[in-house]
Amino acid sequence: MKMKKVMGLSLAVVMAAGLAACGGGSDKEASTGGNEKKEADSGKKTITFCFRDDGQGEDGALWKWIQNGYDTWDKKDTVELNIAPIVAQEGDYFTKVALQLADKKTCPDLVCEDTFQLPNDVSAGYLTKLDDYVKDYEDWNTSYYESMKKGVTGADGSVYGIPYCTDTRGLWYNRDILAQAGVISEGQDWEPKNWNDILDACKAVKEKCPDVVPFWCNSGVATGEATSMQTYEMLLYGTGERLLSDDDKWIVKSQGILDSLNFLQDIYTNGYGPDLSLVLNGQASNTSAREYLPEGKLAISLDGSWITGNWTDTGAAPWPEAKDVLGFASMPTSEGQDPKTITLAGGWALSIPENADAKDETFEFIKHLMDPEVYTDAVIAQGNIATRQDVAGDETYSAQPFKQIATEFLESADFRPQNDKYSTVTTSIQTMVESVVSGTSPEDAMTQYATDVARAVGDDNVTEK
Amino acid sequence: MARPNRAAVIKDEAKKSILLLPAVLLLLCFFIIPIVLTVYYSFTNLALSGANAKNVEFIGFENYKRMLTDPSTMTSIKNTLLFLVGSLLGQSILGFLIAYFMKGKPKGLRSVVGPCILAGWVMPEIVVALCCMAFFKDNGTMNMILGAVHIPAVSWLFKHPMMTVVIANVWHGTAFSMLNFQSALDNVSGDIEEAARVDGANRFQTLIRIIVPCIKDTIATNTMLNTLSTLGVFGLIYAMTGGGPGSSTTTLPIFMYNQGLKGLQLGYGTAIGMLILIVGAVCSVIYTRILKDQ
Amino acid sequence: MSEKMVKTLHCAFLVIVGIVFILPLLWVVIASLDTNAGEALKWPAQWTFSNYSDVLTNSDNLRGFGVGLVISFAQSLIVVLISGLAAYPLSRYHLSYKKGFMYVILFMTALPMIAVTVPVYKIFLSVGLLDSIPGLVLFLSASSLPYGIWLMKNFMDGVPVELEEAAWVDGATTMKSIRKIVAPLMFPGICVVFIYTFSGSWGNFFIPYILLSSPEKMPASVMLYQFFGQHGTIQYGPLAAYSAIYALPSILLYILSQNYMSKGFTMAGAAKG
Repeated sequence: MKMKKVMGLSLAVVMAAGLAACGGGSDKEASTGGNEKKEADSGKKTITFCFRDDGQGEDGALWKWIQNGYDTWDKKDTVELNIAPIVAQEGDYFTKVALQLADKKTCPDLVCEDTFQLPNDVSAGYLTKLDDYVKDYEDWNTSYYESMKKGVTGADGSVYGIPYCTDTRGLWYNRDILAQAGVISEGQDWEPKNWNDILDACKAVKEKCPDVVPFWCNSGVATGEATSMQTYEMLLYGTGERLLSDDDKWIVKSQGILDSLNFLQDIYTNGYGPDLSLVLNGQASNTSAREYLPEGKLAISLDGSWITGNWTDTGAAPWPEAKDVLGFASMPTSEGQDPKTITLAGGWALSIPENADAKDETFEFIKHLMDPEVYTDAVIAQGNIATRQDVAGDETYSAQPFKQIATEFLESADFRPQNDKYSTVTTSIQTMVESVVSGTSPEDAMTQYATDVARAVGDDNVTEK
Repeated sequence: MARPNRAAVIKDEAKKSILLLPAVLLLLCFFIIPIVLTVYYSFTNLALSGANAKNVEFIGFENYKRMLTDPSTMTSIKNTLLFLVGSLLGQSILGFLIAYFMKGKPKGLRSVVGPCILAGWVMPEIVVALCCMAFFKDNGTMNMILGAVHIPAVSWLFKHPMMTVVIANVWHGTAFSMLNFQSALDNVSGDIEEAARVDGANRFQTLIRIIVPCIKDTIATNTMLNTLSTLGVFGLIYAMTGGGPGSSTTTLPIFMYNQGLKGLQLGYGTAIGMLILIVGAVCSVIYTRILKDQ
Repeated sequence: MSEKMVKTLHCAFLVIVGIVFILPLLWVVIASLDTNAGEALKWPAQWTFSNYSDVLTNSDNLRGFGVGLVISFAQSLIVVLISGLAAYPLSRYHLSYKKGFMYVILFMTALPMIAVTVPVYKIFLSVGLLDSIPGLVLFLSASSLPYGIWLMKNFMDGVPVELEEAAWVDGATTMKSIRKIVAPLMFPGICVVFIYTFSGSWGNFFIPYILLSSPEKMPASVMLYQFFGQHGTIQYGPLAAYSAIYALPSILLYILSQNYMSKGFTMAGAAKG
């Protein structure tokens, strides 16, 4: 049987190739530690670090921070580091983290948690109480902002993470384009007073600069939390409403929701927004910050303060002129009512999972990562706002473009609800926003939102306004 | 005649069945138990994170009640049906036409066209998603072709997302129907066709009255197999549209992923999983009966 | 309409369909050789192999391919072995439960296994099989086993029992007669089962994505999906090259299987996709 021989031979080749490649794999695994704990064979503990890699790999600001932190750590000879990024869209990251935190075997030792995700993981029992650790952590009591500590404190009053960044949100605008469209005069700052001012500016841009996208905001499910926070909540809070009522019920039907969705509908039906193919994918915020803004193809972008991290010398899209070309305006309330402007602050924390098995070493590592020597450069590279007062006072840090203004925003910033159901509700928000921008009526989208949220939190925990 | 001792029969069968043991064990652990657990979890409030991850409670039919009153369930069922019917019609009709036209054509033509159709079938799902996505993107090949004949570009993935994923699935699956119909048509004797033509039936009449009845078993089997494989399609749609925009391509498997895993409500997700299993089971029973009749 | 014209029309239809079907694939091939590939099919201004060399010199990618091959190969092997063993009693003996068993098997082939992802995750969590490639392989094997058994049994029915009887007379055991007589005679069938299992496994990205977590254990399918999500809008050239390499095993296996297709095909249905 000739065919049989050919078959057998080819299978053998495939097998050999597979084994060879795998052999290569296990070599590498040994050198980086692998995800499984290697204490038994080397006597060393391994810290497995888990964060979201948005596609930049080893060039990403987080990766560099961790690697650099490890390289300068005095315990690096006794502790191994295993960098295990999750390559995923933002929405999938939280799912994947939760899947890993539940498992003793694959659980990382150090995980980046968005502060909205924290209460949920705390009530699931996934995170380690850090009270005993921070008690002996001198800087904790002297250097961290008190407001940042609130975001990492669970409902039980215990600390579950060390905040490593915060941020604010506002309107990035291209001065040249707005001047050309006649919205502002040369050298003047843009100060929209209400949502209509924004729509008018978009209209002017669309007429005067037809090749430019007037307005960009995260609008899809794929951009995950960015869509909920940078877009929807910035609008909703600007109507004077909140996600939760005073008695802690989720507001699922209200004029504020409709107004926010109507604003988005106006943006997209008038052609002020980017093509849906650009904005409804996981890379949308990178596309606007790394391509459209620097290339002068975008007039106004509703986005976070950290996007400046892209434009530093070592960033993904170095753009030294950004500080002259761009302005950063406060987002106005819907009709200019008090408090006139609105911003939301979020942030991320370093947490130690309950299932981690090198907790002491990991906390030592966190302390080193947060040491001003290591941390200052990292927070600059990330484009974020520092969570430590001493770093905020650093000269290089405060000389960063837009850092002052972004930090000023922080003073009046609102936060997302500290509610363990938020991480489920936020996925419903994203679906609602994406439905509206792709043509569903705001009323229908809100009805669907009401159903989704009621299912997730229970009928007793929702209300209408 | 003495009947064989019952215990002896059992003993004999057990001995003969020993080779089945590994298969049964594997199926038990990784097939049957997960399905039983699906039933169980669908009656709980199991969550991936939050308080319910720690304290799983039995909540009776709550998930099912929610599911039945949730408009997105109807949307997902509607989308699943659209995807299913679109794919079935596309794959079967196109597959049949290709097989039918190929019959008796020069070998050169067959050996060029055949592989073109098969290529889409051989590709892994994710590559199919990539090919079709690039093809239908705003600046993709489709709009380029339209541009060449002065038809304005269409944002296919956003204006007609369901059509786009259906086409992708048709591209992927047509070869399977084509092969099925080819082997069925090969078995239709040319004599009957010839006889019908002599009696004055035109080509179309011959097709409807003679050929289609001859291959009706194949049509039934092919439809069932396509139905079953289309029901489980996840990766293709997820990679192309993620179920969006909005929920316009959210079929049941995607709905399950969005609610169960992304939305962290595992219990609810398994209830949706049950719905998929039930639909699959119904199709499977029909399919089994068809095979039995043949 | 004259016979000739009808024939011409048919041929024209076939040619058009053929072109339409090959266009998306042509894009992959050409974009992978283009230094500056975009979304649309276009003639490259500059041809290059650098997309391929970029993909192939990246050790992570190579490992992904290797892991993928090992997973798919192990799964196919397990399915062939276990379904081959199981098919023997089902094909050769009279068993009271045989009919019922085969119906259950047939029924199982049709269940969309995607529906049980969550319970499988929970099981793996409780027995410590998460992030374990052997665990993943076992689950994948189980999910393609019903179909494997169904196919194997049918192929084995085609091997005449008389040949074996001669061997039994010579004192061969069951295992020996399977190895020496049945397996060689139904080799084409074994290949069909192997190939179907392999290509189904090779293309699966969702199950590994959920059940594995270490980046270094991710097979090529997951890596391609991630590449797709992260760079899909920019780096079309490397993406196309990656896809082309990734599709290669499927194509090779299909070509290899051609000889067996006609024999296995009519029953080979459900493994599609």
